[in-house]
Amino acid sequence: MDLTAPLPTKKLLRAAGLVARLLILVWVLKALAPAPPIVRLGPPQTVHTEQPAVCVHTRLTDEVEEWKIQRTLSMVREMGAPTIVEFFPWPYVEGERGEFDWSHPDRIIRHAENQGLDVIARLGLVPHWARPPVHEKVTTFTYLTDEHFEAFADFVRAFAARYRGRVDTIIIWNEPNLSIEWGDRQVDPEAYTWLLRFAYAAAHEGNPDVTVLGGALAPTTEAEDSLYGMSDIRYLERMYEAGAAEAFDALAVHTYGFTLPPQDEPDPGVINFRRVELLRAVMEHYGDGDKSIVITESGWNDDPRWTRAVRPGQRIVYMLDAFDMVAAWPWAEQLCIWIFRQPLDLHNRRDAYYALVSSDFYARPIYEAIQAYARGWENPYAP
Amino acid sequence: MTSPTFDTVSRALRWLRRHPRIALVGLNVAALLIAYDVVTRPGAWFGPQDITWRRSQINGDLYVGIDPSYPPFAEWTPDGIIGLEADIAREIARRIDTTAHIQIMGFDGLYSALYTGSVDLVIAGLKVDPAQTSWVHYTQPYFDAGQVLVSSSGAPIDSMRQLDGKTVAVEIASAGDMAAQRWSRRLGALTIERFMLPDEAMRAVQNGTAAAALVDTVSARLYIEEHPDLRMAGETTVPDGYVIALRKKNFRLAEEIDRALADMIDDGTLNAIIERWL
Repeated sequence: MDLTAPLPTKKLLRAAGLVARLLILVWVLKALAPAPPIVRLGPPQTVHTEQPAVCVHTRLTDEVEEWKIQRTLSMVREMGAPTIVEFFPWPYVEGERGEFDWSHPDRIIRHAENQGLDVIARLGLVPHWARPPVHEKVTTFTYLTDEHFEAFADFVRAFAARYRGRVDTIIIWNEPNLSIEWGDRQVDPEAYTWLLRFAYAAAHEGNPDVTVLGGALAPTTEAEDSLYGMSDIRYLERMYEAGAAEAFDALAVHTYGFTLPPQDEPDPGVINFRRVELLRAVMEHYGDGDKSIVITESGWNDDPRWTRAVRPGQRIVYMLDAFDMVAAWPWAEQLCIWIFRQPLDLHNRRDAYYALVSSDFYARPIYEAIQAYARGWENPYAP
Repeated sequence: MTSPTFDTVSRALRWLRRHPRIALVGLNVAALLIAYDVVTRPGAWFGPQDITWRRSQINGDLYVGIDPSYPPFAEWTPDGIIGLEADIAREIARRIDTTAHIQIMGFDGLYSALYTGSVDLVIAGLKVDPAQTSWVHYTQPYFDAGQVLVSSSGAPIDSMRQLDGKTVAVEIASAGDMAAQRWSRRLGALTIERFMLPDEAMRAVQNGTAAAALVDTVSARLYIEEHPDLRMAGETTVPDGYVIALRKKNFRLAEEIDRALADMIDDGTLNAIIERWL
């Protein structure tokens, strides 16, 4: 090869021109792609309400698009609900031990704050590093053993400290009286109480003003030795017997009406709205009556294909009656409706009929009825 | 004077005459592409095969996913799974020379079961989900559960337009209520009477308070069965079609089931099954 020969300048220039034109084409094509929507916080908002007990459980955990988070929370504010319950999974924040990524909760809390909403944070689920390796044991996201209780408490501490003054109420775990929520194991009120103790101390270290909600038990009539769960009433009794009174500031309660009206008499063998009164009786029995109850999940379903659902009109009447009942109970603070909206209705039919707003932000009649109730307007769906 | 199209074609032909080799290569490439497309089409020699269809024909089985929580569509009884959807599934299976093996599952597990191959099709009051159409084939509706007008047999009402100046009874906060509100803006004078339950709305038609009731088809059918003085309009005002879901890659099975369902509609079998349960 003759290295002294002159370079083929013309060919090189032609090739360079071709490359430049290709690059311009790529740039033009890229510029044609739709830009992601820019979400601006806007001016701070205030919730106008006459019913401060009205609260909703939002479902922003799996919401990817920021504008949907903002739209959801603005609709909550417009409805007149001053408080939301939102789930912040531990694995989303501490995917690797000691490495915290707060971008997801930051975004939700920033928008909630901007809409003037108070946030009750539900903390739970378990990252992979706090569970046994898959080759040793296949576990679910809710599998947490006592050797990692402290790690969970560290997360609770970090969360409470980071959002001090912005999120002052925290729920520890979700429905630990169901085996599916307790790592597909036999439920264990004593172990949950132990977890609650760790988390309670850590939360107060992170934020001395925090209110720790314990329990959040599922309403169920399962026997004590059932493989699926345990009656919420018996579970709470065993929590108290294990010393849980020292480990929470208020009790989180889940209570559903199914086909029964909210006035239906409480009965340990029946799941109805007033089951919350039975849990209240347990609290009083164990000398814990000075603490309040926050109903963090409740509601009626109007799925026409479900035998445990009611008709849409009944749902509205029952829900508004339930709000009135909670307002009359001196020991109850909020009544949070499950669920405000979910990302994809067609993927979860049951929750689609618990929702107040559809996935595409269509406000269902029950939304309008609750809005009218909360804001002191005339109910457009009054019977 | 010649047209511009004629000029263009003439120029193209002249160009081809001047470049016969390029034309030949182009022709060969086109022929190859067509041949490739033909032999790799679903079911063709080198194309994807519908293994599920073959299995169902060899074994004579068809696995059906059903959510048995909603009588009379599907119900779990000591005698097995019964209901409108179970009967439709069994009839479809019979028509493609198979036996339906009904797998019961919760509604939220139906798509997962279909995706993983635990079932061959799902019949459980599904609606077409645009998010699933990349892998799911939906049949035509086997039942329309939408909102339908119910009127007196002596004074039939078949469309909302006929209700101008009249009263329509609806179930409060239902899809019928929403539709009636929309129609009240379109029509000159439509009065809406709301009732807590669909049966109460239909009772208003019977006692002459309303000209028609706009209620869901299931409630309408069940009520009319006991009150033959009422009738349903031929078509729903707000359709809500229930469809069967299959995997798109089971193109042959989908084709056969589409055909079986169409035949069932044509020969009245589907209607007979619906009449049996509703």
